[in-house]
Amino acid sequence: MRVGYVFSELGQGLRRNVSMHIAVVLTLFVSLTLLGLGVLIKQQSDIAVRYLGDQLQVTVYLCRDGDSNPACTSAVTDEQRQRVEQTISQNPEVSSVRYESQEEAFAKVKELYGADQFDGPNPPMTATDMPQSYWITLKDPQQFEGVTSAVVGLDGVSQVRDLRDTLAPLYGWLDALKYGAWGVALFLVIAALLLVANTIRLAAFARRKEIAIMRLVGASTLYIALPFLLESLVTAVVGVALAGGTLGAFMWFGVHERIASSVSFMPWIGVSDYTTSLLVIGVLGPVLTLLPTLLLTRKYLKV
Amino acid sequence: MRVLSIDVIRFEKVSKTYPGTGKPALDQVSIDIEKGEFVFLVGQSGSGKSTALRLVLRETRSTGGRVHVAGKDLNRLAGWKVPRLRRQIGTVFQDFRLLPNKTVSENVAFALQVIGRPRSEVKKVVPQTLELVGLDGKGERMPDELSGGEQQRVAIARAFVNRPMILIADEPTGNLDPTTSVGIMKLLERINRTGTTVLMATHDSGVVDQMRKRVVELDHGRVVRDESQGVYDGISG
Ligand SMILES: Nc1ncnc2c1ncn2[C@@H]1O[C@H](COP(=O)(O)OP(=O)(O)OP(=O)(O)O)[C@@H](O)[C@H]1O
Ligand SMILES: [Mg+2]
Repeated sequence: MRVGYVFSELGQGLRRNVSMHIAVVLTLFVSLTLLGLGVLIKQQSDIAVRYLGDQLQVTVYLCRDGDSNPACTSAVTDEQRQRVEQTISQNPEVSSVRYESQEEAFAKVKELYGADQFDGPNPPMTATDMPQSYWITLKDPQQFEGVTSAVVGLDGVSQVRDLRDTLAPLYGWLDALKYGAWGVALFLVIAALLLVANTIRLAAFARRKEIAIMRLVGASTLYIALPFLLESLVTAVVGVALAGGTLGAFMWFGVHERIASSVSFMPWIGVSDYTTSLLVIGVLGPVLTLLPTLLLTRKYLKV
Repeated sequence: MRVLSIDVIRFEKVSKTYPGTGKPALDQVSIDIEKGEFVFLVGQSGSGKSTALRLVLRETRSTGGRVHVAGKDLNRLAGWKVPRLRRQIGTVFQDFRLLPNKTVSENVAFALQVIGRPRSEVKKVVPQTLELVGLDGKGERMPDELSGGEQQRVAIARAFVNRPMILIADEPTGNLDPTTSVGIMKLLERINRTGTTVLMATHDSGVVDQMRKRVVELDHGRVVRDESQGVYDGISG
């Protein structure tokens, strides 16, 4: 095979159809960027699950005097409390459990708002206004349904707060962003496929005389298809490079320089997650252009 | 009885019905063509001449019978082997089919380049072939700077540059005046004398009568005449 011929054909093909190629590159660029962004968001929410899961516990609040939950007829009795404690510690999902008294809860509130607010003759709140509670650490942070449902109906239990309540808004946002990015990317991927198909059709039409003669004199199908495949590969590589650059800029200026340095209490996505997203778009980009090219060249250039 | 190996083209009861048409374009056609023969395929418009040539090139497949070309059963030939078959067949058409944006030399060289022949061979063989067809000195012209006869010579050069075993020509003189046609026929005869089998479909009675070669006549897809040293108007003409 003559390399010179293939490259001169490639150059000609790229120039002849330059507007179509730009359209393909741009749609690829945007769709791959969104795809990569979806990957990064997914990585971030995995990190969040892992990290926050370690930190968070299930908390069981017991009834107190004047509890807002109508199921609490009075403050929890010692008997009820023992029943709750027994149920929790016998549950297989539970790793450890810690009891917090009204005084301890009140101490935390005082620490949060400043002890001086609660001094004096008529304080806004006393220890008796606080609920007693159990703080449960789970063996597996994802597994909290069993212990929650075991405890929630017991007498003397006012409220159970589990991981879902705390994380739901965060996960909801991350999931919405992820699926939003992927959804838009999907539409653009379809547009990219159609554009590639059209580009091939135009290119095959522009070269129909050459192709007819090549077939007649016995050029192999691969030889005839090669300029088309290379053209598609070039547009894919440019699209992937642009998307990779944009994602890199997002990682550096958006995540590294801004969020990660200001919100440092939890870990953020880093280089390895960026590499993962590059890998995904690096594979998908060429597949998106080569697949329709292969299918269509088989159709249009059939010997 | 002929031995298979010297038949370069062999049709055995070949039928071809195009999809969506009722009548067959070829109907139980049997023809044996030996190496080095010169054969005219004649018949009215629509009698199936081009269809027979397309079967030899494996541009289409027969719907019945067998087509053997260069020792291969074309109905059994794998698709990826078709290019190799076509490298043994040169083809010339009524409408020349030159690439208008390439020079004469480039048009001829193109046929070698796209089958991966080395540059050194192309450099050597192209001028030789242009000389053979009587176009030496015109290699740098563009096709639209040539007469019809000269353009057909370029097309013949392109078909012959790879020294094929078979040359197929579908009405090569169809667009040319009688004097120019004579020149083209002389050229085809010269190519035939190098051992290349020539199969030519034509309407051109003058050409057929003057050459006195084997004539196969088709009528509604059937062979109605096959005679050596024949003329255009046979029994059914
Ligand atoms: N691609 C096709 N699809 C359907 N029918 C076809 C096709 N090509 C040819 N035919 C039909 O097959 C028959 C034979 O056509 P063919 O082109 O072989 O004739 P021909 O002898 O070459 O005619 P001409 O002298 O006009 O070139 C005709 O009836 C034609 O209409
Ligand atoms: Mg015809």
